[in-house]
Amino acid sequence: MIVAENVEKRFGETLVLKRVNLRVEPGEVVTILGASGSGKSTLIRCINGLETLSGGKITVDGHDVSTKTGLVAARRASATVFQLFNLYPHMTALQNITLAPIEVLKLPKAEAEARARALLDRVGLSAQADAYPQQLSGGQRQRVGICRALAMQPRYLLLDEVTSALDPEMTGDVLRILAALAADGTTMVFVTHEIEFARHISNRIVFLEQGELIVDLPTAQFFAEDGGLAVPRIRQFLSKMKKD
Amino acid sequence: MRFWRVIEPYIGFLLQGFALTIAACLLAIAGAVLLGALTASMRSSGNGLVRGFANAYGDLFRNVPFLVQLFFFFYGLPELGIYVGAFETGVIAMSIAGGAFVSDVILSGILTVDAGVIDAAKVSGLSRVKIFTRIVLPIAMRVSVRPMGSVLINLVLTSSILSTITVNELTGAAKIVAATTFKPFEVYAVLLVLYASLTTLLSFAISAVHHRLNRFMTEG
Ligand SMILES: Nc1ncnc2c1ncn2[C@@H]1O[C@H](COP(=O)(O)OP(=O)(O)O)[C@@H](O)[C@H]1O
Ligand SMILES: [Mg+2]
Repeated sequence: MIVAENVEKRFGETLVLKRVNLRVEPGEVVTILGASGSGKSTLIRCINGLETLSGGKITVDGHDVSTKTGLVAARRASATVFQLFNLYPHMTALQNITLAPIEVLKLPKAEAEARARALLDRVGLSAQADAYPQQLSGGQRQRVGICRALAMQPRYLLLDEVTSALDPEMTGDVLRILAALAADGTTMVFVTHEIEFARHISNRIVFLEQGELIVDLPTAQFFAEDGGLAVPRIRQFLSKMKKD
Repeated sequence: MRFWRVIEPYIGFLLQGFALTIAACLLAIAGAVLLGALTASMRSSGNGLVRGFANAYGDLFRNVPFLVQLFFFFYGLPELGIYVGAFETGVIAMSIAGGAFVSDVILSGILTVDAGVIDAAKVSGLSRVKIFTRIVLPIAMRVSVRPMGSVLINLVLTSSILSTITVNELTGAAKIVAATTFKPFEVYAVLLVLYASLTTLLSFAISAVHHRLNRFMTEG
C-alpha cells in the first residue's frame, strides 16, 4: 500500500503540495486529475523519492521514503513511467530494459534479456529490441519506457502523463497497453488528461487543486452529478478538458 | 643522402626515446582520464566539501606552469620520503596536470546530460556509482570526447618537458644526439615527424571513439 499523510512540498517560498493525504491499495488504479501546475507531477516525484518532502510522510509497503533504507525498499516496490520517456539514449531498447534488472535485481543477463524480449513482444516491439531510442517513434519509445518499468516487476506503477507527448494514434497504442495492465490487476497511480480513459480504467479518482487534494472518490461517484460534478472547480475542469 | 648519414647511427637511440615517450603518454593518458573522470564526478557532487576539494585541485593544477609542477614533484617527493624514478615522477605529474584539464571537459559534458534520464536511473534503484559509470559518463563522453582529444594531444606535447628531469624520452634523446653530432637541424627534423605522427594517430583514435559513442545519436 502507498500511504501519503499530510504531505507538504515547498519550492522556495511556494507551497506546491498542501497537506495531501492519499492511499493506494494493491490492485487499485488511482487517477490523479488536476489543472497544469496543480502539483500532480510533484506528488508522483515525492512518492518515488525524486523530491524530498517538506512535511508529512509517505510510505510504500511500510517503507518510509524519507529514510535512506526506506527509499531503497520503496523504489524496489515501485516503477515510474515518464512523460518524456527519459530513455537512456546510449543504450538499445533491450539494454534500457535490462540494465536495472541486471544491476539492481542481480538477474543473470540471459534471464533479464529473455524477460525483456517477452515484454517487448507484449507491446509489439519484438523487432525493435536492438534499436536505439533515436531510431524509434515517440509511441515506440514510450512503450519501451513501460517495458523498462515492468521489467523491475514493480508492485506499483507510477505514470505521469505518459501519453501527453504523443500523437493521437500513438496514444491509442499506449493506452491499450495500460488498459491490459489494469485488467491484469497491476496497481497504478496514473496522472493523465485522458479523462475518458481514466474513467474507464480507474477505481478511484482524486483531484488536485493548487496543491490541495480536494476530492477523492470512486470513479462512478466522481462523475456523478451529486458527486464530483457537484464541485464547481471539477465541473469546470472536465468541461474544459472535453473542449480541448 | 647527407641527412640519413647523420641520423643513421643514432636512429636506434632516438627510437628508444620515442618508445619511452609513447609509454609515458599512454600511461599519463590513462591516468589523466581516470583522474579527470573521478574529479568531474566530484565537481558535480551534491556535497559541497567534495565539490570544493575537487575544484581546488582543478584550479591549482591548471594555473601553475607544468615545468614548475614537474620540478615540485621531482624534488618534492623525495623530501616527503617518496622515492620513485624520474620516469614514474613524470607520468604522475602528467596524469595530475592532465586530469585537471580532462575534468573540465568531462564536467561540461556531464552538465549536458538530461536530468530526466538521471531521474529514470535513480528511481530504478541504481546506485550512485552505477548511475555515474553506466549512464552519466557515457552520455557526457559523447560531447566531451572531442575537446578531451585536444587536451590529450597537449599532454603528448607536454611530455617533451620530461627531458628536464633526466628522462631520455624523445626530446631528451634528441638533445643528446644533437649535442654529439652538432647537427640539430637533422635531429629535430626527425622529432617533428615523430611527434606529428604520434599526435595524428591520437586524433584518429579520438575521432573513432567519438564516432562510436555517437552512433544512432543525431540529437540530444
Ligand atoms: N523544481 C521545481 N522548482 C520550483 N518550482 C517547481 C519545481 N517543480 C515544480 N514546480 C512548481 O510546482 C507547481 C506544481 O508543479 P507540477 O507538480 O509539475 O504540476 P503538474 O504536474 O500538476 O502540472 C508548479 O507551480 C510548478 O511551477
Ligand atoms: Mg506534470
